Amino acid sequence: MTREQRLKKRYTAEKRFRLMGIGAIAIAIFFVFLLLLKVFSTGSTAFVKTTIQTEVDFNKELLELKDVANPNIEQIKSAEFFDVTYKAATGLFPYSNAEEEKDVKQLLSGNYELEIKNYLINNPDALGKKVMIDLTASDDLDQLHKGNFPRDIPEDRRRLNNFQLNIYDNLLEQGKIKTVFSNYFLFSGDSRDPEIAGVAGAIIGSFFSIIICLIISFPIALMAAVYLEEFAPKNIVTDIIEININNLAAVPSIVFGLLGLGMLLGVFGLPRSTALVGGITLSLMTLPTIIIACRASLKAVPPSIREGALAVGASKVQTVMHHVVPLAMPGTLSGTIIGLAQALGETAPLLLIGMVAFVVDVPSVPTDPSTSLPVQIYLWSESAERGFVEKTSATIMLLIGFLIIMNSLAVWARQKFERKW
Amino acid sequence: MKNKIKAKGVSVFYGEKQALFDVDLNVAEKQVTALIGPSGCGKSTFLRCLNRMNDVIDICKVSGVIEIDGENIYDKSVDVVQLRERVGMVFQKPNPFPKSIYENVSYGPDIHGIAKDKNHMDEIVENSLKQAALWDEVKDRLDEPGTGLSGGQQQRLCIARAISINPEVILMDEPCSALDPIATAKIETLIDELKSLYTIAIVTHSMSQAARVSQYTGFFHLGKLIEFNTTDKLFKNPDNKMTQDYITGRFG
Repeated sequence: MTREQRLKKRYTAEKRFRLMGIGAIAIAIFFVFLLLLKVFSTGSTAFVKTTIQTEVDFNKELLELKDVANPNIEQIKSAEFFDVTYKAATGLFPYSNAEEEKDVKQLLSGNYELEIKNYLINNPDALGKKVMIDLTASDDLDQLHKGNFPRDIPEDRRRLNNFQLNIYDNLLEQGKIKTVFSNYFLFSGDSRDPEIAGVAGAIIGSFFSIIICLIISFPIALMAAVYLEEFAPKNIVTDIIEININNLAAVPSIVFGLLGLGMLLGVFGLPRSTALVGGITLSLMTLPTIIIACRASLKAVPPSIREGALAVGASKVQTVMHHVVPLAMPGTLSGTIIGLAQALGETAPLLLIGMVAFVVDVPSVPTDPSTSLPVQIYLWSESAERGFVEKTSATIMLLIGFLIIMNSLAVWARQKFERKW
Repeated sequence: MKNKIKAKGVSVFYGEKQALFDVDLNVAEKQVTALIGPSGCGKSTFLRCLNRMNDVIDICKVSGVIEIDGENIYDKSVDVVQLRERVGMVFQKPNPFPKSIYENVSYGPDIHGIAKDKNHMDEIVENSLKQAALWDEVKDRLDEPGTGLSGGQQQRLCIARAISINPEVILMDEPCSALDPIATAKIETLIDELKSLYTIAIVTHSMSQAARVSQYTGFFHLGKLIEFNTTDKLFKNPDNKMTQDYITGRFG
């Protein structure tokens, strides 16, 4: 082979290698893109809801606020809203029999009575007047309006019958059907009705779990890593401990769930389904990961820094605490955040300790029953209603969003606190 | 001449391997003693025995007696932190802490509680930097990181750090090997000035440096002290044939 041939062959090989690398990245990006596309196209509509403009007559007599010229808020709160709400709902469209009356009422969400009451509490001036209020539509109408329900299939297989479709078309023509930002999805708890179900409970539950996980796992992991890396003698015992830590990092998370179930709920009797137990279980799971990350960053601190400190008469503890640990902080922090991000996306152990329960109330303390974001995804993905499909995807969007934020935070922390030597 | 450090029968083992064989060597007070020899001859190992820096290495075992002012530093009653307060050290590669210039110097006095108050600390920092011939170059930027200085300045900062706690002995382990000739010259001048205040032991690869800065020189080879003499005698008229060969560049 001549010099030219060898050169050409080398160039071809280098080009081939580059193309293979680019190809690998392209395939990875393609699949991520596909996932995001699917999730976003399905989930984005969950952030909006459909409303029906409804006339509501806040008649003082219907509200049974007799003999009161200017009633205060307390009286409005305890007023009788049944007649008012009934009139508003049935007034949407003329009907001829009881069945049709039910059809009309079913176009509004299960929460419309409360919406009407809250409107009056917030706008006491409307008392005695007839006002137009945008009330949340039912899941079926919402999905029809979002184009998720086909209309050309036989009536008995449709969620909405011909009469209801007729009402929808009529209302749409009058401009009474609107699409607005959904106050329910981000700010309320779970519900059996998709149109008023929200992720607030899951977000708060996840938040509490992660905070508890951080409070428990970070100090323990840091102390364990510092002791093993800087103080522990290198012998068979520490070798066994090291192997076990690496092993634990690879144990399936469901095993930690069983541990949480058996120990925390069974032996210590902590409250079931709570973020407290969830956080402790997750911290057991993330501990080995964080210990490994902390040890790696401690190892990366150059020995010359330790020698420098020891040579001016710093004790071992002073050397470690004044110099080594601060220098290892960037790696320690980013390792911790990545461990927490892993915990945020964890589902299996939470299922076992009962965070999979149906919880309507948004938790206010870590000892309240709650779910978490990934568990909420799991719960909704199993639900039959069409409305939960978009909610599931939207929750995935939120989870991905939180993960991106946490991982960016890890990168930022590493760069911010990094020091050169 | 009074001997500050007396080493008798010092042997060092790294696990199974013996790195130093039965070394007897005295370091004279307020003089510069140089240790020379080819790589791996044990001169750095010996130096690190003098402030028990070898304690950090798990597998390292030291036997023999090293006395500073008549006290055996390997005695059980000796606290290694207090020993290192008396015996400072400067390393081969400048290793300032990734902190400000001020904090680099104030760290030692701070942990040993030497400074009475903030003003006293400022005084200590200034004096240490002046003794290390660095004050004029850094006095306007004491808050800047010590790692931002040039290599030679960093090494002088490390010397200032070592003298900030007012030690009796300063050990230097090839302090100029990572520096250019101009920085080296500055350090050498500095060593000459410091010897009026401190007892200095220096390990060096450069025989000319040993000849320039030291009053006594020990020549190590394969873990043994081959010859110890005044620098003058060792370089002009060595007793040992091997020393002769080494200093004339025939091996090593």
